[in-house]
Amino acid sequence: MFLKKKPMWGKKTKLKSSYDVVIIGGGLHSLATAYFLAKEHGITDIAIIEKNYIGFGGAGRNTAIVRANQRTQYNVPLYKEALDLWPVLTKDLDYNLMFNNCGNLNLMHSEAAMKAARMTIATAQFHGVESHLIDAKEAKELVPALNISEDITFPIHGAMFHPPGGVVRHDAVVWGLARGAAQKGVEIHQQTEALGIGTKNGKVTSVTTSQGVINTKQVLISAGGYSAALIYDMLGIKLPISVLTIQAMVTQPLKPVLDHVVSSGAYHCYANQTLKGEIATGAHMDPWPNYTTLNTAHYIKHQAEALSEFLPCLRGVRFMRIWGGLADMTPDMAPIMEGNNHVEGFFMDCGWGYFGFKSCSAVGKYMAEYMATDNCPDMLKPFALSRYQEHKLMGETAALVNYSPDN
Amino acid sequence: MALTITCPICGKRNGYEFKFGGEEKGPRPEEKDLTPEAWCDYVHMNKCVAGVQQEWWFHKDGCGSWFPIYRDTTTNLEQEDQKATNQEGKNDEQV
Ligand SMILES: Cc1cc2nc3c(=O)[nH]c(=O)nc-3n(C[C@H](O)[C@H](O)[C@H](O)COP(=O)(O)OP(=O)(O)OC[C@H]3O[C@@H](n4cnc5c(N)ncnc54)[C@H](O)[C@@H]3O)c2cc1C
Repeated sequence: MFLKKKPMWGKKTKLKSSYDVVIIGGGLHSLATAYFLAKEHGITDIAIIEKNYIGFGGAGRNTAIVRANQRTQYNVPLYKEALDLWPVLTKDLDYNLMFNNCGNLNLMHSEAAMKAARMTIATAQFHGVESHLIDAKEAKELVPALNISEDITFPIHGAMFHPPGGVVRHDAVVWGLARGAAQKGVEIHQQTEALGIGTKNGKVTSVTTSQGVINTKQVLISAGGYSAALIYDMLGIKLPISVLTIQAMVTQPLKPVLDHVVSSGAYHCYANQTLKGEIATGAHMDPWPNYTTLNTAHYIKHQAEALSEFLPCLRGVRFMRIWGGLADMTPDMAPIMEGNNHVEGFFMDCGWGYFGFKSCSAVGKYMAEYMATDNCPDMLKPFALSRYQEHKLMGETAALVNYSPDN
Repeated sequence: MALTITCPICGKRNGYEFKFGGEEKGPRPEEKDLTPEAWCDYVHMNKCVAGVQQEWWFHKDGCGSWFPIYRDTTTNLEQEDQKATNQEGKNDEQV
């Protein structure tokens, strides 16, 4: 099927023997970086190398939630810019990304959680991101389906309400960016696996793929959950990453009941209603590294229990589809982005866990600037790998749900 | 996919009884002359093998033992033959 059909983003081209830039992985971060390299920096001799098909990874499996209410002063501005970019990209790409800024409601189930929410809200407000603390009654007014009674496992004390967040159609972002990049000359090579990176005197010289060797001076690995294994395999660089499988599912379609994204750390559960009417919900991770991308009965049961407690009108509703994908988790729940450090010309963008969708627009812009100028933009400086050695881990673990094999 | 783990004392049990304890990284580095780099490597850094790796587990809801096993991270299945792709000089001395 990949050989005969014409891809929606343009003509299929033959892999050349050299490119200015090679990008490994056909996910959101790769596509966005290539798009901005071409658009903002005039670098168009780029090959995106994708083992399967674009959107095979987290790009096509995520639950499409976007928001900018992270915990630390380093993360909030990056996510804020990413959030602000959706309407801009919709216009520039001439592709409806279906940004629905329905707002996120993050439930708090104890006074301690309310205090933590106050800190997170203060950070958001300081950076000009709208976010408020509301009590249980106000939460019920926003989402009448919520159960605010005392007799559930984790009674709702209040919520962090973040109106500018919401959902963006994730497949549209993949297709829109692919078309936008291809129109500017970027080549996307599906069914092509990157096998190794060639170096000489500490500089990148080539990328070996299943379709032949490509000469290049710059390579970016942004292959979602596969990045850490590839980076160790190809260059022997170890990363503070654990790769877990994250699960999601949707119910049968219902009439409109939920017009916000609702999430709960205590219940380890979030949910929103898609435009088709399904309740899309996730996202448990079994806390041991694995690349299975399979669901577990254990979690499907948990999900049903959690949803029917805080959204009791969903009792008896059936799950229709279930799936899983990879989440590359770091100990401080923040990503790793850097370049020219271990090997000249080698860049990495990984550790995006379950937040690599909402960030991809801004990250593409800044990674492109980094690669085009060889200077790390200020926005990305805090995300260097060296922070772990310097004991400068970010405080993102204090926000929302933290899943890692370390806790 | 669900996981079962063989505890050396309790035998084969449901994986949710256990806590993952990290990739096998050799002995803890000596305190003397320890550099931030070596410590960071030991504490944080992983190889993230997509294949068989040697790793530690803790039987938290059982006998409380800590023990290493070999597991294929692509299938969640324990491996009997103990060939790990994350071992230097793999398979040479392991029986
Ligand atoms: C169930 C689920 C729910 C999620 N929900 C959200 C959410 O609501 N909000 C949010 O912000 N984030 C969410 N995420 C996280 C987000 O999807 C990921 O962080 C992000 O998609 C990963 O980055 P990417 O798209 O650039 O890479 P991916 O789409 O993961 O792409 C990696 C690609 O690399 C390819 N590849 C692998 N090895 C090779 C090789 N050797 N050569 C060539 N190509 C290779 C793969 O085939 C794959 O297509 C979720 C993830 C999952 C799985």
